[in-house]
Amino acid sequence: MRARTFTGAAVAAATLLFAGTALAEPVTISFLTHWPPETVAKLEAAAEKYKEANPDVSVAVRAVPFGDLLTTLRSQGGGAGGATIAGIYDLWLPELVRDGLVAPVPDTMASGVREAWPAGVVAAASVGGTLYGFPNEIDVYALNYNKKLFEEAGIAAPPKTWDAFLDAAAKLTKKDGDTTTQQGFGMINSWAAGVVHPFASLLASNGGELIADGKPALDSEPATQTFELYEKLIKEGYSNPHMATADANTTGPFLDNFVSGKTGMIIMANWWESALKAGMGDNFSDIATAPIPVGPSGDKPRSISYSWMTIVNANASDAEKAAAFGFLDWLNGLESGPDGASAMGDILVSMGILPSRTSDVAAFGDRLATPFLAGYVDVLADARPFPVVLGGQEFTEALQMQLEAIQFGQASAADAQSSAQADAVEILERAAR
Amino acid sequence: MRRYLPIVGLLGPSGALILVFIMVPIALTLWLSVHQWSTQTGFDTASFVGLRNFEDLFGPTSVGRDFRRAFVNTAVYSGLSIAIILPLSVLFGLLVYQTRVRGGEVLRTILFSTYMVPSIAVALVWSKLYSPTEGPFNQMLGWIGIGPQSWLSSPDTALQSLVYLNVWQQVGYFTVLIVAGLTQIPEVVYDAAKVDGANPWQTFWRITLPLLKRALLFSAVICLINAVQVFEPVVLITQGGPVGSTNVLTFHIRRVGIERAQGGLGSAMAVMLLLTLVVTVVALFALARRTNDE
Repeated sequence: MRARTFTGAAVAAATLLFAGTALAEPVTISFLTHWPPETVAKLEAAAEKYKEANPDVSVAVRAVPFGDLLTTLRSQGGGAGGATIAGIYDLWLPELVRDGLVAPVPDTMASGVREAWPAGVVAAASVGGTLYGFPNEIDVYALNYNKKLFEEAGIAAPPKTWDAFLDAAAKLTKKDGDTTTQQGFGMINSWAAGVVHPFASLLASNGGELIADGKPALDSEPATQTFELYEKLIKEGYSNPHMATADANTTGPFLDNFVSGKTGMIIMANWWESALKAGMGDNFSDIATAPIPVGPSGDKPRSISYSWMTIVNANASDAEKAAAFGFLDWLNGLESGPDGASAMGDILVSMGILPSRTSDVAAFGDRLATPFLAGYVDVLADARPFPVVLGGQEFTEALQMQLEAIQFGQASAADAQSSAQADAVEILERAAR
Repeated sequence: MRRYLPIVGLLGPSGALILVFIMVPIALTLWLSVHQWSTQTGFDTASFVGLRNFEDLFGPTSVGRDFRRAFVNTAVYSGLSIAIILPLSVLFGLLVYQTRVRGGEVLRTILFSTYMVPSIAVALVWSKLYSPTEGPFNQMLGWIGIGPQSWLSSPDTALQSLVYLNVWQQVGYFTVLIVAGLTQIPEVVYDAAKVDGANPWQTFWRITLPLLKRALLFSAVICLINAVQVFEPVVLITQGGPVGSTNVLTFHIRRVGIERAQGGLGSAMAVMLLLTLVVTVVALFALARRTNDE
């Protein structure tokens, strides 16, 4: 009841906020996303449901591959013709706000969001204390391993420490001459987040951070050990970079090798569930989740998390903005989904993604208790948010280059670490200019 | 004054189009290349930085390293594409030009058809053909006892693999250009050579190839421009990786100028690309003119 009152009041307030506009006039808003077709269909169904009560608001969903999402947003979002609503990775927010592309959430709705979402997630969706969108998904990294391959290799349990991790990787690696027929641990290349997030998770589990107090911390001892771990995995042949390539859709050989049982372990986020299910079918039950192994400088299993949010185009017309915020408020509200959950939560959970709204986590308790997802829910509390800073995307891509250079033997761990730190310092300083 | 009116009337429309759609954007890019500017904001927010963007391109930071890598990758991609496509197109051109050989027309159609397939479809299909484990290429190599190749999965072979894709797609188009060039060679020249006792090998090197020079020069320029503009396979398959080995200038400029919204830096890169292309094409024409004079 309280939620219903809140939603109604918020929509009314949003309408009033954009004074001079009238939602009585039919308005079409567009929603840009990188979701796959089956998820887009769910969003379209939610939009249709919203239209029943709000016949003047039509929502057109536009989907692009993940690799093109930021470019599409950048190239089309600057004008009034850009997408009215867009799902974005929080890392992109500071620069989009700096460039005036994102409309702040109306105060009446913002207070509701602050009540309904965890403070850390709200902070990641804010710049300078102003909330710029509705948080939706939260992703966290954990170790995925193939139980069948573990059993064949005589490994009783997932590794808890880096030593056990290396030992398991050694046992899982199989070669036929120079050809790797099965790799112990699968790295990723050609996809910035896919390369950097697993590294950052191992670093976090070794007591380190990518950025500390706004400054790059890749020259720390925990970072040195993490770079060296990568080098060892490659030099010992436990990880084969030729089995690691990703494409613009975040699929490709690295996914093929894991789903076909040629990779023993990977570090990946929970949204990966839908890709695994699609690729493995019944064999998905072979996959289990475990915390990130703890490094020599770490105190307990840690990981990194990152979140996504939906934003509204600051250059849209007032009527479009009002309609967009009204729709987002409903989509993320308690009336739109099943059993007191939000429609957004329902959409996210269908992909194996953890919703970030507190009530959604409770509403989907059973669904999130599956063996695969429960492992992610368990590590969420000790996960560090991926740093959201100006220049964050360029920083990620620069670190990706250095990690890939280790993968392909083009740089030693020491050289890669030194270059990564120097690049990071220069990039963050330049972004702040 | 009146005598200039027809000239203005005839050249005006096309001149205006060239001015608006080519000269103004080039001038704007030149202007932006000496400014710091976010592509998401108005031009009024651009701040003058002199030659700092160009200094960054040649400096030791990741900006300079990535740009130079993309520049070299583009040069290698373009050079390899030209080096493979032109000889192949001459070979195929000679084959399909043999009107007495049955099937020449069919071969010409098949060769040209690859050029008509959308690049997106080509990229997606080839990414599967190159798949290291399940890819048909490696499976076929396995039948003849050759081990799996890394293709797009290794920085040593990824760029070459994209070149092969480009060759497959473009060679038919250049074959047609060469056939057009062959039709311009008078039959009487071949008759004279035959009378002089020239064998086919000598005829090819002494008559066909020299008289194909114009067609080859045109093909080389078009092939270079096409190669420098490579984009779809990179964005769809490799995203510039692994380790930046397929990061070509068009993709890199898009990443810097649009994804990162660093419009000034992106414009400086575009200016460098334009200058290089102009110098290369002028050099090609100068070389051709010199050999003509000789």
